[in-house]
Amino acid sequence: MNVVFAVKQYISKMIEDSGPGMKVLLMDKETTGIVSMVYTQSEILQKEVYLFERIDSQNREIMKHLKAICFLRPMKENVDYLIQELRRPKYSIYFIYFSNVISKSDVKSLAEADEQEVVAEVQEFYGDYIAVNPHLFSLNILGCCQGRNWDPAQLSRTTQGLTALLLSLKKCPMIRYQLSSEAAKRLAECVKQVITKEYELFEFRRTEVPPLLLILDRCDDAITPLLNQWTYQAMVHELLGINNNRIDLSRVPGISKDLREVVLSAENDEFYANNMYLNFAEIGSNIKNLMEDFQKKKPKEQQKLESIADMKAFVENYPQFKKMSGTVSKHVTVVGELSRLVSERNLLEVSEVEQELACQNDHSSALQNIKRLLQNPKVTEFDAARLVMLYALHYERHSSNSLPGLMLDLRNKGVSEKYRKLVSAVVEYGGKRVRGSDLFSPKDAVAITKQFLKGLKGVENVYTQHQPFLHETLDHLIKGKLKENLYPYLGPSTLRDRPQDIIVFIIGGATYEEALTVYNLNRTTPGVRTVLGGTTVHNTKSFLEEVLASGLHSRSKESSQVTSRSASRR
Amino acid sequence: MASLDDPGEVREGFLCPLCLKDLQSFYQLQSHYEEEHSGEDRDVKGQIKSLVQKARKAKNRLLKREGDDRAEAGTQGYESFSYGGVDPYLWEPQELGAVRSHLSDFKKHRAARIDHYVVEVNKLIIRLEKLTAFDRTNTESAKIRAIEKSVVPWVNDQDVPFCPDCGNKFSIRNRRHHCRLCGSIMCKKCMELVSLPLAYKLTSASKDSLSAHTSPSQSPSSVHGSRRGSISSVSSVSSVLDEKDDERIRCCTHCKDTLLKREQQMDEKEHTPDIVKLYEKLRLCMEKVDQKAPEYIRMAASLNAGETTYSLEHASDLRMEVQRVYELIDALSKKILTLDLKQDPPPHPNTLRLQRMIRYSATLFVQEKLLGLMSLPTKEQFEELKKKRKQELERKRILEREAALESQRRLEERQSDLASRATNGEVASLRRGPAPLRKAEGWLPLSGGQRQSEDSDPLLQQIHNITSFIRQAKAAGRTDEVRTLQENLRQLQDEYDQQQTEKAIELSRRQAEEEDLQREQLQMLREREREREQFQAASLHTRTRSLDFRDSRPFQLEPGREPRTHLAHALDLGSSPVPGSAARKTPSPSSALEPSRVWSGPPALGPGFLPQSITSQHSEVPSLNPFDEEDLCSPAAEGAASPPVAEPPCDSAVRAHKEYNPFEEEEEEEAVAGNPFTDPDSSVPSPFDEEDECPHQRPSGPPVPGNPFEEALCTNPFEVDGDSGREGEEPIEEELLLQQIDNIKAYIFDAKQCGRLDEVEVLTENLRELKRTLARQKGGAH
Repeated sequence: MNVVFAVKQYISKMIEDSGPGMKVLLMDKETTGIVSMVYTQSEILQKEVYLFERIDSQNREIMKHLKAICFLRPMKENVDYLIQELRRPKYSIYFIYFSNVISKSDVKSLAEADEQEVVAEVQEFYGDYIAVNPHLFSLNILGCCQGRNWDPAQLSRTTQGLTALLLSLKKCPMIRYQLSSEAAKRLAECVKQVITKEYELFEFRRTEVPPLLLILDRCDDAITPLLNQWTYQAMVHELLGINNNRIDLSRVPGISKDLREVVLSAENDEFYANNMYLNFAEIGSNIKNLMEDFQKKKPKEQQKLESIADMKAFVENYPQFKKMSGTVSKHVTVVGELSRLVSERNLLEVSEVEQELACQNDHSSALQNIKRLLQNPKVTEFDAARLVMLYALHYERHSSNSLPGLMLDLRNKGVSEKYRKLVSAVVEYGGKRVRGSDLFSPKDAVAITKQFLKGLKGVENVYTQHQPFLHETLDHLIKGKLKENLYPYLGPSTLRDRPQDIIVFIIGGATYEEALTVYNLNRTTPGVRTVLGGTTVHNTKSFLEEVLASGLHSRSKESSQVTSRSASRR
Repeated sequence: MASLDDPGEVREGFLCPLCLKDLQSFYQLQSHYEEEHSGEDRDVKGQIKSLVQKARKAKNRLLKREGDDRAEAGTQGYESFSYGGVDPYLWEPQELGAVRSHLSDFKKHRAARIDHYVVEVNKLIIRLEKLTAFDRTNTESAKIRAIEKSVVPWVNDQDVPFCPDCGNKFSIRNRRHHCRLCGSIMCKKCMELVSLPLAYKLTSASKDSLSAHTSPSQSPSSVHGSRRGSISSVSSVSSVLDEKDDERIRCCTHCKDTLLKREQQMDEKEHTPDIVKLYEKLRLCMEKVDQKAPEYIRMAASLNAGETTYSLEHASDLRMEVQRVYELIDALSKKILTLDLKQDPPPHPNTLRLQRMIRYSATLFVQEKLLGLMSLPTKEQFEELKKKRKQELERKRILEREAALESQRRLEERQSDLASRATNGEVASLRRGPAPLRKAEGWLPLSGGQRQSEDSDPLLQQIHNITSFIRQAKAAGRTDEVRTLQENLRQLQDEYDQQQTEKAIELSRRQAEEEDLQREQLQMLREREREREQFQAASLHTRTRSLDFRDSRPFQLEPGREPRTHLAHALDLGSSPVPGSAARKTPSPSSALEPSRVWSGPPALGPGFLPQSITSQHSEVPSLNPFDEEDLCSPAAEGAASPPVAEPPCDSAVRAHKEYNPFEEEEEEEAVAGNPFTDPDSSVPSPFDEEDECPHQRPSGPPVPGNPFEEALCTNPFEVDGDSGREGEEPIEEELLLQQIDNIKAYIFDAKQCGRLDEVEVLTENLRELKRTLARQKGGAH
């Protein structure tokens, strides 16, 4: 159930099977991302893979002394490229791996193109998803839905990704989906279809309790992706953006050239692996320790490198030293930038109000706080807009809803039209009308007690009091209490025991906060293994893009109301 | 309701109350109870039922709070990342995901295709061979044409009105051309030509590979022909128009393509680029390193630890070898990096990238592996290391022994096994028994005696230890350790034997010395007495002064006395100023404050020190503590604390009297250690004793000739001494002697009480001597 490891194993197997000799890895755009998530360059260099080429690159030279490992998605264009490649082979021998099921006809046309008999292997290796963390995968699809329904291309990609995940983990699951979401049902059916069609592939050793695939829709919880985050990984994504483990720091003031883009990968960065789930304050102290460690190890050139023995010691420590210095400067830069942004954007205060909006039910105090923050010049239009979005989502049906007033405040603050429109779009996307379950006022006695107790005890950390809705869902699922009328099974059979292996997939994208929740669930409930996936991994910005891409705002009643009202006031 | 929500919480409720076995559910518990404990008390069954009910209630309660607990656990998770819990990284190892191979399918399709292609190519090659098999230049065009036509049937001109490739109509101008390889027709524009060299190349290769069906005689001729062709080609360049194909063969594009592909394949098969050769060498070197480096590291680690399992030369040879390989790797990768760099058409960027990457990975390899190679010690260093290791081992052994000693000592103190101890130790401990505070110095010999006994007993203990170690090592099958341990054991046994013999020798010598001592003591006493008489008679000195004066003398005479030098010092210091001050009988603060206080101080001080000291000797007065404590510190402080000037002498007197054995023992130790002073030392205690004894008795003697104890408590003897001293020295001497006799009587009594018979004997002898002296004195005086 470790998705990173699953993909890594596939890649290692490919390379091993090609035998000794210089190798080139031929990939397409997507598989490049897939491979880069699990392997670093130096790691893969050790396996004699010296070149990485894109199959669509025209500028490739004939190098008959290289072996080619092709890892491609089974798309039409890739097959075409490959046919061209085989007609005039540039490399001595080809090992072809498709990341998903390929049609027989494609295999035939490839075979017919291989007149020179350069192909030594044709296989399907189902590494067809981006493995972000061991328990988190993504498909890097932004804007999977049009309105409430799937974009057909994205549906097929998502189906492929999800089935590939199941195959790579060797799971043939039972499927449950969120009834309130048409998209979830559709995807569930598509996955089921593939499983039925490729039943030979899905014949794995039966486990006592069959694995479970739970398909959810982002609409059910639009709150989580709107919140500021304070754990390292989530925070970096929220404030800087993580794209296939890469972070673009080029906009950081005074950044040095080699730090314009840094890679944060738990696979080869020990510090990151140990700190990605810690909160910002803890990271600060750990960074300090890291610095001290570094300073201890850093040779003092002037005084220490006098004798040859010293030099030798320095050189002997050099690889580690270099590695460590890279780690240090990277994390210091990232954390420094994070804290700069936090103070610049007044994020502590903003986050406190966000959490209040997400977790508490005090309308007047929330409204007051938002109004106060909207007056604060340090609060950016982005943060201002998301505060209003949270308000709009939470107090959508509140008797004294004063969203129009807040919208006016936004306008007065000079928040651009784009964001103001997004407020209503978000409500349309994840408002009460579309939600299958209640986000804010728990009906469940347990939840009420929980909230009551929380109120008694006071909150330990005001910035991290929010628990994603997913937590409750999974908690119920693990206890076997998830309601079947809300999350029905696809097909007649149901799970009688409590699930052990759970794969949760969120249409419309997961978040790192949810990844943390799943991580903690995995740690605290032995015997249950959960993997979280999403069409993508969102931060607020990308979530708003997702909302925008769904195109819901244009048909929004409320938004037209708001605009007409504001227009009339003009 | 009965669903198992949280095993941890439920488990608390479902422990069997009888055997505490953890049962997962109520039903399991019930059945378990039925099976295991059915015969037992009925009450318990009722108990178990109520317990289950309780557990259920508790569970319900817990359920409500569960979410909260979980949240707490979650926040704990923040802090203690990667410590415990089920981290996804710790999930059980997973196998490779599903795979599906299409290779057989692929091969099937390809085979069909390839067969066709291969047949096609082979056909062309065979025809080409036929076409080039004869001497084209010397054959007439017509004949050539005839041969060409015989190779492949030409397509009829009438059948092809248009060029199949470009579609142009054939006419007088646009004439038809036939492909000599397949017989098809094309126009001139679409016509391709195969030059003879190419043809020969293709056919010769096929001849080589298919040598089975081509005669060897044919290939040389064809090579010859190709040469001819190339020579003649210069002369017949212009003869294209007359359509005589001397040195080339017309063919269609398809055939040409096929042939070219074929040629390319041949080229690649034969040609291995430089980079591949270098790379192969590089990989070989890397493999070698992967083999040798671990071996070397094992050796170097062992050598650096000072072990002698591997030879230094061998290791350094290996190191050289590995290093050479590294240099080779470095050189090869550098060569790969700069390969073709200066060529005129610069190599393709990808080639350069490949070279850079190879170099980079080689550098990584070297960095990772070479720098992990630890250096070897030089020969001298190695020797040193070996020595160090030996010392280390030795030290370890000693440490072990010390630890054993320590435990032994503790054990002995606890046991206080009197019987096993040497006589001295016995004496001390005995004395410690009834009056533990009386003799502080009693500890010195005691500890000395203990040390002695420890020296032997720990040895034995160590021997036992080692034998048990050997047993263990043998059981563990560690033969090398057994060997070292056995050696160790042998050493220990030797040492023990030696010690035992030494001890025996020592014992006998001690007995002899005792006798000597006693004799000498008496003699000294006699001499002293005589001397004193002379002195006192001559210079009218106070007794005290003379005492001090004489005190210092014997020590000066015997500078070689090691064990009590500090005492001598104390006396020296104390005594030298005293003569002056005591002679004037006025305490002079400048000369010596402390002694004067003692000797001529007010009565308040006197009793504080001296009387007590006296009484302490007799062990009948309870207030002994201060004296003993001072005793302890005064010798130790080496005369700095001189207040009880008289005390050290008296202490040592006592010691000399009662326990010169322990005293000797110390000397013995030195003797064991090879002290050359052993012999002079053996005679030392007696002068010491004498001088200490006598003066001490004298000051305390005069005031109370009969009963020293009462006197000591109420009067200051010294002032009286001083006054009376000038008038009646002789009687005082007499009384001193009497006093001493009394003292010794007391000692004897004491010793008898404590059961130290040997001491009693000595004391009795002493007493007899004293009595004799007294009698002589009396006789001499009168």
